[in-house]
Amino acid sequence: MIAIRGLALGKSHGHYRVFQDLSFEVAAGECYALFGPNGAGKTTLLRVLATLYRPSNGRFEIMGHDGVAEKDVVRAALLLLAHGSYLYDELDAEENLRFALALRGLAPTDRQIKLVLDRTAIGAFADLKVRFYSAGMKKRLAIAKAMLIRPQVLLMDEPYTSLDEAGMRLMNQYIRDIVKEGAAVLMTTHDRLRSAEVAQRVGVLDKGRLSHITVDELASHAVF
Amino acid sequence: MPFFRVIRWVAWKDLVSEIRSRETISSMFFFALIVILVFSFSFSMDQEAARELIAGIIWVAFAFTGIIGLGKSFAAELQNDCLEHLQISPAPKGAVYLGKLAANLLFMLVVEVILFPMFVIFFNLDVVEELPLLLLIFALATLGLSTVGTLFSAMTVHIRAREVMLPILLLPLAVPVMIAAVEATRGALNGLPLSLYGNWLQLLAVFDVVFTVLSFWAFEWIIDS
Amino acid sequence: MISAMIKWMQRYEGWVGGGAAACLIVGLYLGLVASPPDYYQGEVVRIMYVHVPLAQTAMLAYSVLFGGSLWYLWKRDPVVDNMCHAAAGLSAFFTAGALITGSIWAKPTWNTWWTWDARLVSFAVMFLILAGYLMLRTFVDDPEREARYAAVLAIIGFADLPIVHFSVEWWRTLHQPLSISMRGVSMSGEILRPLIIMGIGFSAIFAYMLMVRTQMLYLRRLLIAKKGRLLSQAHLSTAGSGSPSGT
Repeated sequence: MIAIRGLALGKSHGHYRVFQDLSFEVAAGECYALFGPNGAGKTTLLRVLATLYRPSNGRFEIMGHDGVAEKDVVRAALLLLAHGSYLYDELDAEENLRFALALRGLAPTDRQIKLVLDRTAIGAFADLKVRFYSAGMKKRLAIAKAMLIRPQVLLMDEPYTSLDEAGMRLMNQYIRDIVKEGAAVLMTTHDRLRSAEVAQRVGVLDKGRLSHITVDELASHAVF
Repeated sequence: MPFFRVIRWVAWKDLVSEIRSRETISSMFFFALIVILVFSFSFSMDQEAARELIAGIIWVAFAFTGIIGLGKSFAAELQNDCLEHLQISPAPKGAVYLGKLAANLLFMLVVEVILFPMFVIFFNLDVVEELPLLLLIFALATLGLSTVGTLFSAMTVHIRAREVMLPILLLPLAVPVMIAAVEATRGALNGLPLSLYGNWLQLLAVFDVVFTVLSFWAFEWIIDS
Repeated sequence: MISAMIKWMQRYEGWVGGGAAACLIVGLYLGLVASPPDYYQGEVVRIMYVHVPLAQTAMLAYSVLFGGSLWYLWKRDPVVDNMCHAAAGLSAFFTAGALITGSIWAKPTWNTWWTWDARLVSFAVMFLILAGYLMLRTFVDDPEREARYAAVLAIIGFADLPIVHFSVEWWRTLHQPLSISMRGVSMSGEILRPLIIMGIGFSAIFAYMLMVRTQMLYLRRLLIAKKGRLLSQAHLSTAGSGSPSGT
């Protein structure tokens, strides 16, 4: 799970405050959808949790491990699906998957690779170098990577962008599956309809403050 | 052991990407060729002068060519935010450094091995007996440039004036490597007994060890937050 | 909340500056006026009283930079980083001074503007490393990253300088058999005394300038922080959270 207490992030030695005094939790087996206007700091929050930035105040825990003091443990437990696809253009799908997993000390079998490539319907693109992939295809490959890694905590930054209908259904099905297996999922999104299908809790980050709304409210009207 | 697997995979990834795109090695090779040509026009050399100067020319060409390769090493990680991926991955950063170092070292050595015959041809050098020794000198000196070069490549990839900062930072630090490489190469090319220039090889070895260790340690500070 | 180190600097800078001035006045008099000219080099040798302390202080400044860089990586104190930045600039300044005075000394003495003396070359490399350090600081955008990178560079550079010195020394024995060396002056009490006083004076001047410049950089950082805070106040409203459902 993700536990956040009094988190503040100032960029550069604590100057421009992106948010201050943020506190909330995402339990195991729960999907939390975070909304907010552009520039509110949603992406920045995810990047702090992914240990990319150091918070200037407060602390957070991933699976009970402190995000700053126990960075390596935290990094092994979580997976960030961000805007950048983290793929190498000259490698094909399988090579990219194997590389990403090798960085985590994992070695998937050929069967496992084939399985996830089929499930994410990469299909004919599997043998092509990633440089020829569309943005949506790269997203699918990212889902395939997540399926192989099976993280306990999944952070997703606008997961639905670039995906087609089938892709979005695939994404939601994947989220439902891992939530059932006990993972904690935190996603930032602007897609109310799609996220309402999978989220158990919804938050809105605006002007540095977090407020909560129910999933029904989410589905019925605009959040901010 | 996950540590060594990471090294192998990082090196493999760089090598395969390069083989498929052929972008780095070809630009390094042609740049070096141009350097050789410019030098051969700049000095009108007889056999006597050639033997004195050629070692220096070789290493100037190798150093500047190497800098191109070193710069591209981490510039390649900027695609699709891959550098960020390396940062947040649980892989030990030291292993990532060693993998990058291995790939950079290999690229530079390949270019040097292809270029050296050109030097032999253009400047009419007599090298056959000394070849293994020359290769050893190349390897030691190239390692010296690559250790700090890989670290500085990671350091400068984020910043403005990236392409010019790498040589500005690297070359002053690499002065011992350059001096030693030139002296050792000149000794070998002139057929001098090893005892006369063996100390330069020792210097290179010491430099390599010290700066591999230092860069290995420092890499974590550079790539992590 | 002003840093403790800054307060300490504010308190003592006057004393250090005053002491430095006193040392320099005494030293300059003893060196440039009262001490005897050298048997071989004549009056020109007096430049040694400036050149040697400059060189010593340049090395002292780099040592401060090295120690400060280690300290910064350990404690991540931004004020220490300010001090490192200041020390680097001062070290570059003193190094340039040592090189220039060395050159001025060399010309009348050995009829050459530059000698490939191991120490001069090491100083030249040191200057280049420091120039690279200062350039790096200018080009990095994020202050935290800038501090980290600079610290690493300073440490690596420091480790390199002895090796540079060695390699140039070996090279020199191969190619310059003439014994041109900066150590060509016999030391007697009358020469040593002003040299030591000048050494202390220059070190004190460095300490004083370090204190002043560190405070300057510190104030600049505070100013930027204040500006950032003002900007983010517009972003983070203090009057409620603007909840969408009108609660």
